[in-house]
Amino acid sequence: MDWDLLLAIGRFLLATILLLLLTVPTAFIVGQMELKIIAQMQLRYGPNRVGPWGMFQSTIHGFKMLAKEDHMPDRADRITFTLAPWMVFMAAAMSMLVIPFGPGLVAFDSKISVIYFFAIIGLSVVGMLIAGWASYNKYSLLGGLRSAAQMVSYEIPLTLSIVGLVVLTGSLSFTEIVAWQAEHGWAFVWQLIGFPIFLIAAAAEINRTPFDMVEADSEIVAGPFTEYSGMRFGFFYFAEYVALFIMSSILVTLFFGGWLAPWPLPAQLDGFAGALYGLFWFFLKTYLFVLVAVWARTTLPRVRIDQLMGMAWKVLLPLAIVNLLVTAAVVQLLEL
Amino acid sequence: MRIPGSGIAKGLAVTWRALFSPKETLQYPDERPQMAERWRGRLDLIYDPFGEHKCEVCFQCAQVCPVEAIDMSGFDSQGNRIRYGLPEIYDERKDPNAFRRAGLAARPMRNAARWDEAVDEPWVRGVVDGFGGRAEALVAIFGAVQERYGYLPERALRVISDRMVIHWAQVFGAAGLGGFRLLPAEGHLVTVCTCAACRLAGGTDLLAAVSADLGIGPGEATPDGALSLETSEEVGAGAMAPALRIDTLVYGPVTAEQARHLIDQRRRAGARARG
Repeated sequence: MDWDLLLAIGRFLLATILLLLLTVPTAFIVGQMELKIIAQMQLRYGPNRVGPWGMFQSTIHGFKMLAKEDHMPDRADRITFTLAPWMVFMAAAMSMLVIPFGPGLVAFDSKISVIYFFAIIGLSVVGMLIAGWASYNKYSLLGGLRSAAQMVSYEIPLTLSIVGLVVLTGSLSFTEIVAWQAEHGWAFVWQLIGFPIFLIAAAAEINRTPFDMVEADSEIVAGPFTEYSGMRFGFFYFAEYVALFIMSSILVTLFFGGWLAPWPLPAQLDGFAGALYGLFWFFLKTYLFVLVAVWARTTLPRVRIDQLMGMAWKVLLPLAIVNLLVTAAVVQLLEL
Repeated sequence: MRIPGSGIAKGLAVTWRALFSPKETLQYPDERPQMAERWRGRLDLIYDPFGEHKCEVCFQCAQVCPVEAIDMSGFDSQGNRIRYGLPEIYDERKDPNAFRRAGLAARPMRNAARWDEAVDEPWVRGVVDGFGGRAEALVAIFGAVQERYGYLPERALRVISDRMVIHWAQVFGAAGLGGFRLLPAEGHLVTVCTCAACRLAGGTDLLAAVSADLGIGPGEATPDGALSLETSEEVGAGAMAPALRIDTLVYGPVTAEQARHLIDQRRRAGARARG
C-alpha cells in the first residue's frame, strides 16, 4: 500500500471539496458588495431589509433561484443546454485549484500552474457559446458569438501581459512567483505596463462592466442567458461572481505579492499561524480588487463593440508585446 | 494635453465621493416626514376624463374648513351660478349640521367677535359702487375704508368681496399690501423706506431726521399714540427715492423739511377727522 499516494489523493479531495464550498460564500459576498456598494455610489441605500444592514439580500437571491421554475425551450438542444451552465461554473471552480491562498494553502501545486489557469479559465467561452447556440434564440446566439469574439480577443493580451512577468520571475508556478515577490518586492512595480494591461484584459475576460457586451441587458436581453431560468441561470450568475473573485485573486497573486503582507514579517511566522496570516492578507487584497471592479462598474458606461475590439487589437496587444520585449531586454542586461 | 484615462479618474472620484455622502432617501415606514400639524396634502381640483371639473360646488369643503380658507364660486350641476357669500346670507356654513356631516363636533364660530365690528355697510357698498365695482379699484377702496376706520375691518372686507363679486381670498390677500392694517391701531403709521435705492438717495439721513423730529425710534409710537414710526424695504415707491409713506400714501423724493411738513399736516388732518 502506497500511503504517500493515498495521502496525496485524500489531501487533493479535501482541498477540492473545500474550494467548491468556498465558491458559495464567495459568490454571496461579491454579490452583496455589488448590491450595496453600487447603491451607495448611486446615492441610494441599497438592500437594508433582509438581515442586519440587508446583508443576506444576495443569499436570498440565491435561494430564490432554487425556487424558480426550470424552463427549457421546446426546440433547445437538451444535452448542450444542460451542459453549458455546468461548464461555465466548472471553468471558474477548477481554476481555483492552483490559486495559492496562503503559504502551503494550494490544492494543486504544479510547475505550470499559470498555463493551467489560463487554459481552464478560457473554457468558460465554450460554455457561453454552447449556451447561446443551444437556446434556439437569436439573441442568445448573438450573445454567444459576441462572448466568443470578446473573450478570445482579450485572452491574447491577457496572457501576453503575463509573459513579461514570467520572464522576469523565471517561473510558471504561482507559488514560485509569490516566493520571487517575497525577495524582490511586489511585481507591479516591475511591470508598470503589464499590470494595467492585465487589469483591463481581465475585466473584459470575465465580462465586467465596461466590457459587459455579452450580457448587455438593454440590447440583447441577457445574451446567452436569455432562455435560462431557475438554478441553471443561477449557475451562470454564480460563475460570474466567482470569476470576479478568481481574477482579483490571480491579479493579487501575480502583481501584489499574493498572501505576502505589505511589510516584511517581524518574526518568522510558520505553520498554522503563518497560514492564517497569509489568508488574511490574501483575502484583504483580493476583496480590495473586487471593490475596484464594482467601483468601475458604477462609474463607467458600456463600450461599443468596435471600441472593445479596437482596444484589444490596436492598443493592448502592441503594448503587451512592447512590455514583453522591454522586460526581456532588461532581464538580459541586468542578469536578474 | 489630455492624459489618457483622466476622464475615467474624474468619474471614479465622483462615485467614490458619492459612496460616503449622506443619502437623501427617507426610510418611509420607519421614518416619517415632519409635516406641519395642519398639513392636509396638496389641494387640487380633479378633472373627469372629458376635461370637466369634477367639483360640483357643493361647498362641503368650505363648510368643514376650520379656518375658512376656502371660498368658491362656480356653476352647480343644474347650471346655476352659485357662490359662497357672507355667513349671514349663507349660514349653512356655520350650521352645526354642517360640522356633524363632516364628522366634527359642532362648535361655535371661531372668530365670531369680529362680526361685532361697527361697520357702516351701506357706506362701504357706496364706496364700492362709487368706483364702478372694478377689480383694479380695490386698493383705492381699501384706502377710503382705512381713512375712515383707521384699519380695514374684516367685516368691511367681506362686504367689499360680496359687492364686487371677488373671491374673499383675493380681497384678503390684497389687504396684505404695505400700509394697510387689519387690526385696530391708534394714530398714523409713518414708514421710511430702507430699500437699497432709497438708502443711497439719503434714506438713512431721512430716517434719522424724522426720528429726531418725533423723538421716537423705528418700531416705537409717540407717547400720545398719534404717530408710530417703522421702516420697510417694500414701500414700492419706484423712482421716488428717498420715499416716505404715511398710512397708505407714498411721498417722494422728500427732504427732511418736507417730511416734517407732511407729518404735521397728516396729524392735523387726522385729528380733524376723528374729532
